[in-house]
Amino acid sequence: MQAIQTFDLTKRYGTRAAKSVLAVDRISFAVERGQVFGFLGPNGSGKTTTIGMLVGTIKPTGGSFNLFGASGPKDLMTVRTRVGATLETPNFYPYMSGRDNLRIAAGVKGVGRPRIEECLELVGLSDRAKHRFKTYSLGMKQRLALAATMLSDPELIILDEPANGLDPQGIREIREIIGILAERGKTIFLSSHLLAEVERTCSHVAIIRKGRIVTSGAVAEVVGEGSAVLLRAEDTDALAGAMEAYPGASSVRRTDEGVIAALESNDLGSVTRYLAGQGVYLSHLAPYRPSLEEVFIDITGGAVDSMTEIAS
Amino acid sequence: MKILGVLLRIEWLKAVKRRAFWVAVAAFAAFTALPAVERVRNARSDPSSVYALPESWPDILGTATGVGPLFVGVLMILLFAPEFTWRTARQNVIDGLSKERFYAGKAVVLAGLILLFMGTTVLIGVGSTMLSPGGGGPGFIRSSDLSYMSGLAVGMLVFGSAGMMLSAHLRSSGSALAILLLYLFVEEAVTRLMLGAEINALSAAAEFLPFNLVEDLGDDLAHYPDVLVDVNADRAERGLAPLVFLKVGMLAAAALAYSASFLGRALLSMRRRDL
Repeated sequence: MQAIQTFDLTKRYGTRAAKSVLAVDRISFAVERGQVFGFLGPNGSGKTTTIGMLVGTIKPTGGSFNLFGASGPKDLMTVRTRVGATLETPNFYPYMSGRDNLRIAAGVKGVGRPRIEECLELVGLSDRAKHRFKTYSLGMKQRLALAATMLSDPELIILDEPANGLDPQGIREIREIIGILAERGKTIFLSSHLLAEVERTCSHVAIIRKGRIVTSGAVAEVVGEGSAVLLRAEDTDALAGAMEAYPGASSVRRTDEGVIAALESNDLGSVTRYLAGQGVYLSHLAPYRPSLEEVFIDITGGAVDSMTEIAS
Repeated sequence: MKILGVLLRIEWLKAVKRRAFWVAVAAFAAFTALPAVERVRNARSDPSSVYALPESWPDILGTATGVGPLFVGVLMILLFAPEFTWRTARQNVIDGLSKERFYAGKAVVLAGLILLFMGTTVLIGVGSTMLSPGGGGPGFIRSSDLSYMSGLAVGMLVFGSAGMMLSAHLRSSGSALAILLLYLFVEEAVTRLMLGAEINALSAAAEFLPFNLVEDLGDDLAHYPDVLVDVNADRAERGLAPLVFLKVGMLAAAALAYSASFLGRALLSMRRRDL
């Protein structure tokens, strides 16, 4: 059964055609229960808007979605008790203590006090629970946000950039907590810029660009898409030049390891024959599995700019 | 009913942890109590002057109406608007409150503030009577006092709902406070202009501007007709035109209509806009 399913989900800001912004453009994807799902995209690609629609803070202007099979406003309100989420930065009352902030969230979720202490313990904030939120470090704020999402022991946890601004230690702590939750069988929907983290943590990913999903699937499938090879030769410049001219190569780039070429087919014999014909003799030829980061940059063109587009 | 209890509990927690809340309540109590304290002191030193309920109600309510509505409006803004800048409104909705319930929580806050300020006023009245050496007339409260008290409550409701509307629209406490205070000055200026024009229709219209209604409802002469008769007799002796007040019921109905429209605008804004 799917925890999340979207059907042509769309969000357009503004009503005047000339000035409206299409933030999310007919996206459809599904997250199965128990998956740790990474939702990736450059800044402004529509990740937070999509999550906002799923958690009910942003009204879609088109399409639909369901959570645990529920889709109408009333049904969605009911299933939201099974969802824990944070959007962008941790949002709490700065003048209240961590514990009091959790009391507010627990009141909304209908959760008792013992659970507050359990969650504080889980994220390692018990000692600082009585201190005001505004005195917390960013890492502590992120951990408190995680504690808040876990209060009602939700089946689906939606985290938007949970490692934003954290140091390596903080990132590791967040990763460990996510790991614990995944082991407990929770469905986790995670948006992040930290692609190495996503690759380590997630079983499935979707990549969004300019408000549209450009690829999705199991991490292994996404990074394994296409046939990339790593080539080495004595004269790397000549090898790179020859591969750039090779008609069967969709992209070619030089790295410290050699030349990586994405091929349109798996016909490696043609490559070796072609290179030999160009006077380039290979010392190394092996399949190359790119990292998620490389796939992401390949797909998004390395863009980190604002991806929203002005509708014409 | 269960959701009402939940909203009450979480909004109470949010309010009591806020220093601004206690500062406002203490300031209101001080403003209302200080004249009463002075009069009790006079009553203690001069046995001929009595300061006790129910005769002291006009005095106590007069002070409360001077500051109460504005305090409720300002406090409402301070307790509502920052929820947007801190994005806690959004988090409350993510946690499971619908936008309508979040709004209902703030309506509960408004009702609670009115009750709290009214309660403080009553306590000051009772306290000053207990401390005063002489006793007042029969009974605790007269129908005119009740009318004046209702006028105070309606005034608080108008300012509080205006605060809610501005908070929901502007989503910034600074801007909402600035607009509320600026409007008070603008309305004052508009009223003077209209009255200065000496056109009856305009003058009558000016009476129905929201904060003028609150001002009239907070005027003791609108609630104590016998005092009004005396005041007008005095004015007639001095060659001045008599003071005329619309019926309290009409003033209250118009004020409640404003309040309903402010609350409606706030709800629409909450519903329509993304968080």
